[in-house]
Amino acid sequence: MYKYLLESVDGIQCFGIGTFLLFFITFCVVTIRTFIFKKEDMDHMANMPLED
Amino acid sequence: MNNIQQFQYDNKITRAFGMASFIWGMVGMLVGIIIALQLVYPVLNYGPWFTFGRLRPLHTNAVVFAFVGNGIFMGIYYSLQRLLKARMWSDKLSWIHFWGWQAVILCAAYTLPMGMTTSAEYGELIWPIDVLITLVWVIFGVNMFGTILTRRESHLYVAIWFYIATWVTVAVLHIVRSIEIPVSFTESYPLFTGVQDALVQWWYGHNAVAFFLTTPYLGMMYYFLPKAANRPVYSYKLSIIHFWALIFIYIWAGPHHLLYTSLPDWVQSLGTVFSIMLIAPSWGGMLNGLLTLRGAWDRVASDPVLKFMVVAVIAYGMATFEGPMLSIKSVNAISHFTDWTIAHVHVGALGWNGFLTFGVLYWLWPRMYRTTLYSTQLANVHFWIGTLGIIFYAVPLYWAGWTQALMWKEFTPEGTLAWGNFLDTVIQIMPMYMIRIVGGTLFFIGAVVGVYNLYKTAKQGQFMPNENAEAPARERHIPVVVGDHWHRRIEGRPMQMLLFSTIMIAIGGIVQIVPMVFIDSQVPKISTVKPYTPLELAGRDLYIKEGCVGCHSQQIRPFRDETERYGEYSKSGEYIYDRPFLWGSKRTGPDLWREGGKYPDSWHYNHMWDPTAMSPGSIMPAYPHLLEEPLDLRDLPAKIRALRKLGTPYPEGFEKIAINDANIQAQKIALSLAEQGVKDKGIESKEIVAIIAYLQRLGTDIKVQKKQ
Repeated sequence: MYKYLLESVDGIQCFGIGTFLLFFITFCVVTIRTFIFKKEDMDHMANMPLED
Repeated sequence: MNNIQQFQYDNKITRAFGMASFIWGMVGMLVGIIIALQLVYPVLNYGPWFTFGRLRPLHTNAVVFAFVGNGIFMGIYYSLQRLLKARMWSDKLSWIHFWGWQAVILCAAYTLPMGMTTSAEYGELIWPIDVLITLVWVIFGVNMFGTILTRRESHLYVAIWFYIATWVTVAVLHIVRSIEIPVSFTESYPLFTGVQDALVQWWYGHNAVAFFLTTPYLGMMYYFLPKAANRPVYSYKLSIIHFWALIFIYIWAGPHHLLYTSLPDWVQSLGTVFSIMLIAPSWGGMLNGLLTLRGAWDRVASDPVLKFMVVAVIAYGMATFEGPMLSIKSVNAISHFTDWTIAHVHVGALGWNGFLTFGVLYWLWPRMYRTTLYSTQLANVHFWIGTLGIIFYAVPLYWAGWTQALMWKEFTPEGTLAWGNFLDTVIQIMPMYMIRIVGGTLFFIGAVVGVYNLYKTAKQGQFMPNENAEAPARERHIPVVVGDHWHRRIEGRPMQMLLFSTIMIAIGGIVQIVPMVFIDSQVPKISTVKPYTPLELAGRDLYIKEGCVGCHSQQIRPFRDETERYGEYSKSGEYIYDRPFLWGSKRTGPDLWREGGKYPDSWHYNHMWDPTAMSPGSIMPAYPHLLEEPLDLRDLPAKIRALRKLGTPYPEGFEKIAINDANIQAQKIALSLAEQGVKDKGIESKEIVAIIAYLQRLGTDIKVQKKQ
């Protein structure tokens, strides 16, 4: 049954691969950019709850 | 130079939501205890409105939307003002939001026991209440974004991103889930049908957990935990990655509620993969919370606020470890439809949401009343009773879940089911259900102690309705410096943040749902599957009204034990006229998808009158009112018209003969009942015949008919 359902959409494998790639790229971009954040900005924001 | 501006924070609205959270929380917990008692002592069901089927959604809605919902608003209204250095944009909108939300809750408290429901789990409320929720949510959004746009602090702290993602995602989820065609003021049919409806429902249902029970509470964790610990969050970088990864991944995970069902395999696989990936951001957030307490662990022993928060974060970690594990198909094959799921969600609801709410309340009340907590000792008592309550609730239900799965799947050496009678597997877990009542009651008693403590704290202090604050005015135009960090630019611009969050959560929904809805081959048609007859339709709506879906599934998975016990496994093409789908998510009673033709009509008649008459020891509520209440067919023409509009192939003009058709079928059932010894005059005009018609139809469309 599963084989039949899998075959019923053309290029179904694109969904899985495309989705994973999309996530992987987003994740890498967020991570890399986060780690080059200026330390003083980070400290400022991290301390915001304590400064009200 | 900036001018220092003086302003006031609004504490009254925070207090109102806090009190509402606690009061509704008590109601929700009490209803939980009642339905737990009803499962052990079915005599406590008083038909028609005080039955398990109708009260169960009242419990879930009260806990999710009233207890946690008001808790969210309490946390947001307090922290948002302070993080933005601004009073809420409009006091008027704050109070319209407050009373509007309480009105939604009151409407739910009336309609659900009255049997007015859409049957969509966590989205049961009827369409007029859906409209009210939309209005209230928009008002909340306007007030929140108004405050954000008129803030004095340029940067948006991570908690606010979680609030923004919550607002936009809940709006999208609520609107898509609520697309329905009204039939009357209290009834409607959803746009989607069968498998598609199931997918949309669990895309909604799972993300209600994600974006109502999780993201706003994570925002609160990122604000209140550093406050209570008096130190900044362990890693702000981790919180950024936590946020983006969590909202991106969460939205895909819904199909893990539908593993091994008739949902196409590729959607199931996507759901599984993303659910397993979820463990990374979830645990990143949990560790970030726990590590915030670095160097402050000694205070945890003496500060009840930190105690509640630590257990809350640990419960979050446990539930978010268990969730991905339950999404592995081989684990889900065992756990699904059992009490394991109930144990899992209560670790989240009691531990994560409950304890974080209590922690925040204990932190807030003394500050808003300018005093100290009335009794630290009582708060500690609350903490320990509550913790014991969670353990006594969860452990027996894990045990019950495993027992159920093992018994359902056990075969004798001869190859037959070892426990062929489903009831045997129910009776076996009754002791666990009893211990669960003890757990729930302990948790409730703890909450009563908490209310008393907060009441006394309020009595000894003086409430500060408006809290003075000052901050420099915000520079309207921040020059963009070359090489400035990308995220700094985004987080200074809330509308871009809103847009990015929307894109993130939209991608998941679109990729999963759109092909299911628009590609016909996703749901292979079966030529013998026909629309329900008018009487069956009326019976189906009664089935929905009584909340039968709370205990009975209509989805047979392709496992040997299930096909042996229930019959041929379910095909997606069988459900194309099921609006709404009624697959259910729990088997307190057996699956009913192949119920049609299994028993004579008289069996169903007697079973509804008194389930123990046919199944001694059954814990199903009795439904004598179905034998007495007149069958109301007046809405049938409107229902037929609405369903035809949605694509059910009822012929033109069929609505004109629908009532007559229903009456003819009712007569036939009354005749068959009489032949089987049920002499009940006028039974053809009672609700029971419609229920029988529906139950006898279930799953029969693809049964091989014997040649006459």
